[in-house]
Amino acid sequence: MKPAWVERFGDEVSTEETHGGLAVGVPPELWVEAVTFARDELACGFFDWLTGVDELEMGFAVVAHLYSLERRHHLLVRTRVPREDPRLPTVTGVYRGAGWHERETFEMFGVVFEGHPNLIPLLLPDGFEGRPLRKDFVLAARVAKPWPGAKEPGESGHGAPSRRRVRPPGVPDDWGPHA
Amino acid sequence: MDLPPPGIGPLSRLAPKPIKFVLNWGRRYSLWVFNFGLACCAIEFIATSMSRHDFIRLGVIPFAPGPRQADLMVVSGTVSDKMAPAVRRLYEQMPEPKYVISFGACSNCGGPYWDSYCVTKGVDQIIPVDVYVPGCPPRPEALLHGIVHLQEKIAAESLGDRYTGTGEPVAPPPPPRPLSATVLRRPIQPPPEAEPLSTEAATPLVLDAAPGASTQPMPPAGDAPQASPNAATQPVPGTDASGRSTTRGDHDPSIIPGLVDDEDDDQIGRSSS
Ligand code: SF4
Repeated sequence: MKPAWVERFGDEVSTEETHGGLAVGVPPELWVEAVTFARDELACGFFDWLTGVDELEMGFAVVAHLYSLERRHHLLVRTRVPREDPRLPTVTGVYRGAGWHERETFEMFGVVFEGHPNLIPLLLPDGFEGRPLRKDFVLAARVAKPWPGAKEPGESGHGAPSRRRVRPPGVPDDWGPHA
Repeated sequence: MDLPPPGIGPLSRLAPKPIKFVLNWGRRYSLWVFNFGLACCAIEFIATSMSRHDFIRLGVIPFAPGPRQADLMVVSGTVSDKMAPAVRRLYEQMPEPKYVISFGACSNCGGPYWDSYCVTKGVDQIIPVDVYVPGCPPRPEALLHGIVHLQEKIAAESLGDRYTGTGEPVAPPPPPRPLSATVLRRPIQPPPEAEPLSTEAATPLVLDAAPGASTQPMPPAGDAPQASPNAATQPVPGTDASGRSTTRGDHDPSIIPGLVDDEDDDQIGRSSS
């Protein structure tokens, strides 16, 4: 598959063999074009999933996994959008089934899929604020609630006074009752 | 919508104690259960309802067509904030008096997902819970133990008390049993009138009892019945590692725990030292 990508897109794309198949990195402008190419020319008729990855200062990666039922090859198409303004054209015009995946990526990472017919939260409860799968999302439950699991043997149910209370990972210093 | 608070009629409130006792007794042993299965724990609930553990023997009936026909709701699994309104709504659809068992760490307190952004930290934040069953997932025996506890609670309760706080308890709560839940793991028992197993255990008992009866099961072909029938029903094969015979002629045929606690049950799953 790699020659087909190079022949079509030249050095605009980067390819990498992963253990799950070929991974192709494309710039965001070519996103829809690349996915269409994979569907039409590489026979990837099965859209498996689409999701995001928070890569901190490098932005958000958006990854789609495609599969060809005829030729039995896997394909990962990925792109990266900037953190400040994460926007990407939708691929619902290429794969209809991408709709819910893009809605989920939108609510979890805040990536806006332009042209999506119904870009509203899918899984989160009404009124939820924040983008919970971003790495800077603070898990407020860690602040509000002590770990409910079993204690060490001999420890009382109300924390160990002998040990210094450590802040849960990822919680800012000025949060919570023990700040 | 504002519904009137649940209450009880004068007949039930003024009924003499023996009647209340009988009513409680009836309620206790016909708990139509509604399984709110939300995650992995639901599998253990299903296992508890199937033939090996079989909570119908305790009077828990898993065939309620919906919450409107159920007395007991078992919340088994991870309650998410998105699901919580549905749990609450279906609880409210249940007729009074209704009971809730929270099954598993997730519905007790959030479990492994206690710090998640979307998991309710315990179903008791939205509905009242009568019995908590800990574990991730709890074994079916633990649910049986929880059910027995709930039944003891029902036997001791007074409905007037439940709704108005003015009733008097029907009976003092039974003293805690000095038994562990493993007594519920008692293996399937042969019928008590069977011949005590002799050294000739190779022959199936029923063949000895009534040769030639018309309801005779076919004797298994070949050498199949070499093992004693009792050993075939042992759930934990490792029990025999101590070399003790598993045949017990004086077993307790009762399935309700609390009558006899013999050594065998508590040995299961422990080191033999
Ligand atoms: S308590 Fe454990 S087994 Fe039960 S639903 Fe939660 S994660 Fe699954």
